[in-house]
Amino acid sequence: MKEGFRQAMAWLHTWAGLIFGWLLFAIFLTGTLAYFKDEISHWMQPEIPARSVPTETSLTLAQQYLEQRAANASRWIIDLPGAREPALSVRWQSAPAKPGERGQFTEKRLDPLSGAEVQGRDTQGGEFFYRFHFQLQMPYPWGRWLSTIAAMVMFVALISGIITHKKIFKDFFTFRPRKGQRSWLDGHNAVGVLVLPFHLMITYSSLVIFMTMVMPASILAAYKGDVQAFFSDVFPAANTAKVAGTPEPLLPLAPLLEKAREHWAGGSAGQVTVNNPGDTNASVVLTHNGTDRVVHEFGRAVTFSGVTGQLLAKTPEQSVPMAVAGSFYGLHMGRFADPVLRWLYFICGLASTAMIGTGLVIWLGKRQLKHAKSGVLPFELKLVEVLNIASMSGLVIAVAAFFWANRVLPVDMAERPQWEINSFFIAWGLSLLHAAWRRGRGAWVEQLALAALLFASVPLLNAVTTLHHLGNSLATGDWAMAGFDLACLGSGLFLGWAARKMQRAGQPEITGRNRQRSIPLEQEAH
Amino acid sequence: MLLAGLLCYGGFTALCLSMDRHHAELLGRKASIAERRRFKWAGWLLLGMSLWAAVSVAGWAFGLVQWCAVLMLSVLLLVMLMPYRRRMALSLAALSLLASPIAAYAVL
Amino acid sequence: MTAKHSTLPVSYRLAVLSRVLAAVLGGYVLTALASVCLTLWVPMARADAAVTGMTGSFLVYLLAVLWCFGCRTAWRAWLGLIAPSLVLATAAGLMYWGGRA
Repeated sequence: MKEGFRQAMAWLHTWAGLIFGWLLFAIFLTGTLAYFKDEISHWMQPEIPARSVPTETSLTLAQQYLEQRAANASRWIIDLPGAREPALSVRWQSAPAKPGERGQFTEKRLDPLSGAEVQGRDTQGGEFFYRFHFQLQMPYPWGRWLSTIAAMVMFVALISGIITHKKIFKDFFTFRPRKGQRSWLDGHNAVGVLVLPFHLMITYSSLVIFMTMVMPASILAAYKGDVQAFFSDVFPAANTAKVAGTPEPLLPLAPLLEKAREHWAGGSAGQVTVNNPGDTNASVVLTHNGTDRVVHEFGRAVTFSGVTGQLLAKTPEQSVPMAVAGSFYGLHMGRFADPVLRWLYFICGLASTAMIGTGLVIWLGKRQLKHAKSGVLPFELKLVEVLNIASMSGLVIAVAAFFWANRVLPVDMAERPQWEINSFFIAWGLSLLHAAWRRGRGAWVEQLALAALLFASVPLLNAVTTLHHLGNSLATGDWAMAGFDLACLGSGLFLGWAARKMQRAGQPEITGRNRQRSIPLEQEAH
Repeated sequence: MLLAGLLCYGGFTALCLSMDRHHAELLGRKASIAERRRFKWAGWLLLGMSLWAAVSVAGWAFGLVQWCAVLMLSVLLLVMLMPYRRRMALSLAALSLLASPIAAYAVL
Repeated sequence: MTAKHSTLPVSYRLAVLSRVLAAVLGGYVLTALASVCLTLWVPMARADAAVTGMTGSFLVYLLAVLWCFGCRTAWRAWLGLIAPSLVLATAAGLMYWGGRA
């Protein structure tokens, strides 16, 4: 019975892993990149200098700008610059949104030193990867649903994988390279088991993040259908008084920052929302910036009157269930991570991605062996091969294309951000076509080689198209800029090595040896 | 984080050496049962110390997160290194243990 | 001699489909009921109860999926979901219409 159960779990792991593997690879790769989204954005907008300016100054400048440009707005939202996000951005809403609907905002980015609108090339920057990894470029809410379904399948695949892995403790330190299929499986097990806490955390937390969307039954039951009441309870600071209609000058916002800090006993405001600016019922909500805590506190904010500066409300201490949900949220986002820890997050993310990738390779490799004699693959396996190539090396090419587009497309081009994104998808689509036409090992080698070339030459591209090349960025201590160039170079070298390995493995003498060594794998009951 | 990482790496190497198969791989001979037990104890002790190091420096929340991160990545490094650079894997462990008191002094 | 790729019997494919439907749809219903049951029975404020119910629900979904593929027959998959669902629905219903009214 136990063997039957384990075999059933192996079957489940294999099929769930295959069908969702391609999508999950894309989600994990872009999600991993998203840990450095601010740094990527900085590289993609080299015109905007990274300047650290006191928050009070930024807030005052933002207020001046909004009082000039958006005096009649119903709401202002000011995102204050932080350690990683040096930009000051302002948004305003002309009219309040209907309850339950999302509001319409105008957004502008300001220079935190001068308060003037920023003049940098238009781009979505690192935000593209961040949004893609949970929205999948699909219209709201379909992308989120699909990515959350993928997350549930990932969770099932992880647990079924653990159950299937009979020798999880015995083989804990086992990695035997240069043994064909055996090595791929060892590798898959290594990145799987050794980094398991991260995989489990990131997967379960992604489910928690969208739980109100995918599992609303609890809310409907507890609140008898009044979903808005639930969100009002969780985000009390979002409840704002209606506009009174009588104009009253808005007090200077900057001093409120210190007042908020006192209430929070440390930490600082990340966002300032002004409701009904210039009205008697103006209120200023300062939302806590969560970078000093691991556990995310949903909607932690202090509200002051916009006219008198008097404290109107303060969100209560977090309850245990909220803290648990907040832990998942906080751990997933990793906003609290300093540069070293952020790199560790990034490496763990790459490990997850590698786990999925090796799984896809093993799935096909095992079945390809059965057809090795005839040399002809049935249609289904050909399809898997093409999808493997396009979803992995193709995706990597697309990422490189995105960065290349940023430097190559004219700065004042219309719809520039959209065209950078289009370059990403066009490159991905072309790689799919190439994989379908070229097939097999040749396609892998060519795509990996192209990706290697594109990534390795990013620093050169940067030097040719801007003044912020490596020599410059290292000299001025612009670590984000230099780090990006160096990371691309490193990625290029890695991809080049992978291309070489693929090419060598395809050579006849070596294939023969691999085939012999792979047979013991077949004999292992798995 | 560095101290926790050094202790983790050393701890995992010890645990690895407590296993027959890997002991033979790394040190060229089989280990006696007593030796294996000693390595096992040493390994777990070092891992425990690394947890204590992480939490005493950074508190429970940050400490646990940092500990998990170095835990995972130190063992990944060890496993990836072993088949290619057996001697480096071992010397790194020795160095880590030697450097730990210095790192401890600097941080605690 | 090329070996012919053996075709799986229709009954097998139907059984797999049945298990998949049980896991995806039946599993979702069971999970939602478990989530609601937990929310209504746990002695907490509404918001906290809802959050608790939702946060833990995915563990139930996991178990439901593992059951649907791990049990011996496709019929058992459905039975194994329907039986606890009825229990949970009763418990939830009691609290929803009876307990707090």
